[in-house]
Amino acid sequence: MKISLDWISDFVDLEGVPPHELAERLTLATAEVEDIHPVRRHTQGVLVGRVTACEAIEGQPPDGLKRVEVDCGARRYESVCGAPNVTLGMVSAFAPAGITLAGGVVITEQTLAGRRSEGVLCSAAELGMSHWHEGILEIPESMPVGTPLDTLIPPEDVVIEIDNKSLTHRPDLWGHYGFAREIAVILDRPLKSLPIYDLSQFESLPPYPLEVASFDDCPCYGCIDLRFRAGVPSPLWMQRRLHALGQRTFNLAVDVTNYVMWELAQPTHAFDGDRLRKIRVASLGEEGVFVTLDGQERRILPDDLLIWNEKEPVALAGIMGGLHSEVSRETQHVLLECANFRADRVRRTSVRLDLRTEAAQRFEKSQPPANVVAAAGRILHCLILADEPFQALSRFTVAGDPDAGHRPLLMDWAQVDRMAGITVPRDEARRILIGLGFQVASRQGLLELGIPPHRSRRDLSIPADVVEEILRIYGYGRIEPRLPVAPLEHLPVNEGLQREHRVRRVLAGAHQFVEVQNYIWFDLRRLEELGFEPQDCLRLRNPPARHNVALRTTLVPNLLALVRPNRAHRDGFRLFEIGRVFRAADQGRQERTFLAGVAYQPARSDPEELVRGIRGALEDLALSLAGSAFRFEPAREDVSPWWKRGSSLVIHGDSGTVGAIGLLTGDVLKAVVPDGQVAWFELDLEALPVVVHPAVKYAAIPIFPGSWQDFSLLWDAARGFAELESVLDRFVHPLIARREFLYRFKGKGLPPGKASYTFRYHLAAPDHTLSAEEIDAFRGEFLRHLQSHQIVLR
Amino acid sequence: MEDIWRQLEAELDRAKSLPEIEQVRIKYLGRKGVITVLAKNTDFGKLSAEEKKSFGQRLNSLKSRAEEAVRAAAERASREAVPQDGATGGPDLSLPGTDRRLGAMHPISLVQRELEDIFQGMGFRVLTGYEVETEYYNFDALNIPPDHPARDMQDTFWLEDGRLLRTHTSANQVRALEQFGAPIRAIFPGRCFRNEAMDASHENTFYQLEGLLVDRDISVAHLIGVMKTLLSAVFHKEVTVRLRPGFFPFVEPGFELDVQCLICGGVGCATCKRSGWIELIPCGLVHPRVLEFGRVDTSAFSGFAFGLGLTRLAMMKFGIPDIRLFNSGDIRFCEQFPVSM
Repeated sequence: MKISLDWISDFVDLEGVPPHELAERLTLATAEVEDIHPVRRHTQGVLVGRVTACEAIEGQPPDGLKRVEVDCGARRYESVCGAPNVTLGMVSAFAPAGITLAGGVVITEQTLAGRRSEGVLCSAAELGMSHWHEGILEIPESMPVGTPLDTLIPPEDVVIEIDNKSLTHRPDLWGHYGFAREIAVILDRPLKSLPIYDLSQFESLPPYPLEVASFDDCPCYGCIDLRFRAGVPSPLWMQRRLHALGQRTFNLAVDVTNYVMWELAQPTHAFDGDRLRKIRVASLGEEGVFVTLDGQERRILPDDLLIWNEKEPVALAGIMGGLHSEVSRETQHVLLECANFRADRVRRTSVRLDLRTEAAQRFEKSQPPANVVAAAGRILHCLILADEPFQALSRFTVAGDPDAGHRPLLMDWAQVDRMAGITVPRDEARRILIGLGFQVASRQGLLELGIPPHRSRRDLSIPADVVEEILRIYGYGRIEPRLPVAPLEHLPVNEGLQREHRVRRVLAGAHQFVEVQNYIWFDLRRLEELGFEPQDCLRLRNPPARHNVALRTTLVPNLLALVRPNRAHRDGFRLFEIGRVFRAADQGRQERTFLAGVAYQPARSDPEELVRGIRGALEDLALSLAGSAFRFEPAREDVSPWWKRGSSLVIHGDSGTVGAIGLLTGDVLKAVVPDGQVAWFELDLEALPVVVHPAVKYAAIPIFPGSWQDFSLLWDAARGFAELESVLDRFVHPLIARREFLYRFKGKGLPPGKASYTFRYHLAAPDHTLSAEEIDAFRGEFLRHLQSHQIVLR
Repeated sequence: MEDIWRQLEAELDRAKSLPEIEQVRIKYLGRKGVITVLAKNTDFGKLSAEEKKSFGQRLNSLKSRAEEAVRAAAERASREAVPQDGATGGPDLSLPGTDRRLGAMHPISLVQRELEDIFQGMGFRVLTGYEVETEYYNFDALNIPPDHPARDMQDTFWLEDGRLLRTHTSANQVRALEQFGAPIRAIFPGRCFRNEAMDASHENTFYQLEGLLVDRDISVAHLIGVMKTLLSAVFHKEVTVRLRPGFFPFVEPGFELDVQCLICGGVGCATCKRSGWIELIPCGLVHPRVLEFGRVDTSAFSGFAFGLGLTRLAMMKFGIPDIRLFNSGDIRFCEQFPVSM
């Protein structure tokens, strides 16, 4: 929204208030000012002139030029003009030689197409009024020739631009009068009333035929049938203000409706009255096509709201008129529509058609229906200001409820102070409310209010809304900050978050993992490369991209996708992510927090080391999170392309399966990375116990020295470590304090297929120093156990 | 003889390294050293017994003092010497450290944790909600009208089952009120999603931290007080804030809270777009309708709520220029934030 201070000054005295100060105060009290644009027009020395001769110059390039004579009162000038709209008898703006126009162009006497030119007829752009340069300025014929243009169009104005996002709840601020009211209250200066033509004097005239199908979509529709010269140029005061806001000007009927929209925020529409007989407001009821006045064919859905002339649609309600009922230069008969349309109906249609007109933008903000009558009266008043006689052919005909009265609200004065946290002087509060248009009465601590009809019901209906009105003008900066007082109480920590933070500390703090975050949707193209078809996905109706339609059920694929780009930057790395996964099937627990990671190392390295590295990190994690160890068991089934038998281990916690860890092999490895090794893991964090501070049982430090014994066992390498470990687990002996795996040896000197596994047994007794006999006895029993499993020492 | 001693002392003082000290030793105590030569060249035959005795004693004393000084200097030098290369044969302690096991945490994790600490220190509980949320908690219960543009497909990611990806952490407000009732002091950090076109400052996936305080007679003055305290803790210095009107359907009155630009101190610079202020926290007093949705007695309780852009805060704090880096998974980005919690 742009506001011209020239226009605001019609209603509030801005004397002595610099624009930047006004902008600052508006930002703090009303809505955010985005920018301040100074407007500089080049109207000094330019004269009002009538074209008294106009003939095409034949046979002299460039084509399309006309020789004109311009009567400027004191003098008659010769000139050459190429504007398409120049006609004999029209009144326009003439800049004689010596005048500087916009962009620093100095007008000189010259010969053009063989004709003398003593100056130029000017477009709005040449005068610095706007960017429009499709033709020369058109001035009402009644304007005396020779009038200096700068007496009609002052050279300077300031336009303040307001952030539209801060006006979504304030339909009244989409017009200048709304802002003038705010500024008057902010500056504590009087607000001049807006002169409005009294429509009641037409009550004796017949109503215009009008039918509204649903007051739901169109709460109030008003129209009046008028006769006036709709196609003549609008007065310069109207044109200059519309131009200052970047609006194009057309003719009196169109300009006056735009002018009043920019003043009162109420969009209206001027139809060619000869083309209409009866107005009907109704939706199409079926799909169809409508040609808007910009000549575009628009596809219409069954519930889009249209304005009809009997059986022919003539406008897209609240958005744009139709091509065939547009006002033209010759129009003398106008049907003026002042109506209110439901915000979301207008928004849906305008968004779908991408037709974000000034009218649509305003209706979308829920314009109050009260403006239906006010805008019509204001338009007629502007016709009088424009010195353009008019005749009403009908009364102002209204269907629906204009809701034009003040709305009562009773509240407690004390609520103002309670919500502010300070004492707001009541005189000041009363002044503010009255300035904003409220009716205010005060009785025994109660505040009896009438909410002004120009304010939307959505924005102003409860006491809290009123408190906001008082405080924003009173000044939030005058409220002294204070801290609330609360009783001491114990607040339990969020155990889920504690667990997540602890995971980060263990993995990133001790195991060189780097934390990443991925999107919560799969990339279906990547899943196809991996050969993974996810089951039970939640799906998006409007995904960010077609291949992102499914929410992730596992964190692993998106992490695997990071391996290839990152290996260009690092020889090896470990990544992890904590994030939500979603499953459609799990009733009640569809959303869970998972932890997953990937590790990458170059092809020539030892893949066992890669897996053992992240397994070690997970073993630390188990200890830190729950105080107990994970169990790792070979996967017995293929769960996904990465979670497969032979290359994965299932991880068990105290409560059951919590996740898995594995090494990528075969096709899935190739799909992830052309060379190198990749290991992965994934844990359901919510399946782990939440123990913020795990209980630890102190074990007495042995008083009597123990002993340790190393054994190197020959074992079938193909059977794997886990099976050997389970054999050792079965050997229970009271002297064993701890068993430690030292290393595995493969290679020369061993029987084929065998590897040597070296373990260290720590032996101790709580009440005495071990004797040689005891140790020998242990060795004997242990070796017998090994023998029973066909295990020999190396 | 005393001159020789003083000169020797001065030279030893200058000699810092073992080779330099050796040079000094040779100069004075070597086979052709000053002291050796002095002894050699002295014709003791010409001296009286008395003189012989005195001179001999002084010479011996000088020699032993000199030997002791050189030895002490050498010892000191070798003690102070840091082996410069392997040539000396000792361990080269100047080699860089190994076994560095520190990884990195995501910048969002760091900022989130920092704010959790600040708010827990102020007596707020930390709650988390759901990323897949119902329309009720995300919109209806927040007094957002059925026809509000935020509900459009252009703004919100909708699921086929009618639910949605939460568009703001405000979705937790009514859930928390239902669960804990009033009074309550809580924050809700979490990931949010909006159907936006992405560029350097727009992401469809980002983090917010919502705060909610409901108690008896909570006022705008309290809101400003808590925000000032929070921001001073975040930025580690006293900050100047201002409130100006802002509109959000779930608060009334609603505000935009600006903080005076920390770069220029309010004079105006590129960071604050020459306004002197940075828009930081949308906030307001909780709308009575929202409290009613949360089954809170509005005649007894009022409250305030605020929404902090965690991602934006992380961008400010770490100087990250492009929001898309957060979800890039690029190790060159992610590893820049060492474990610090």
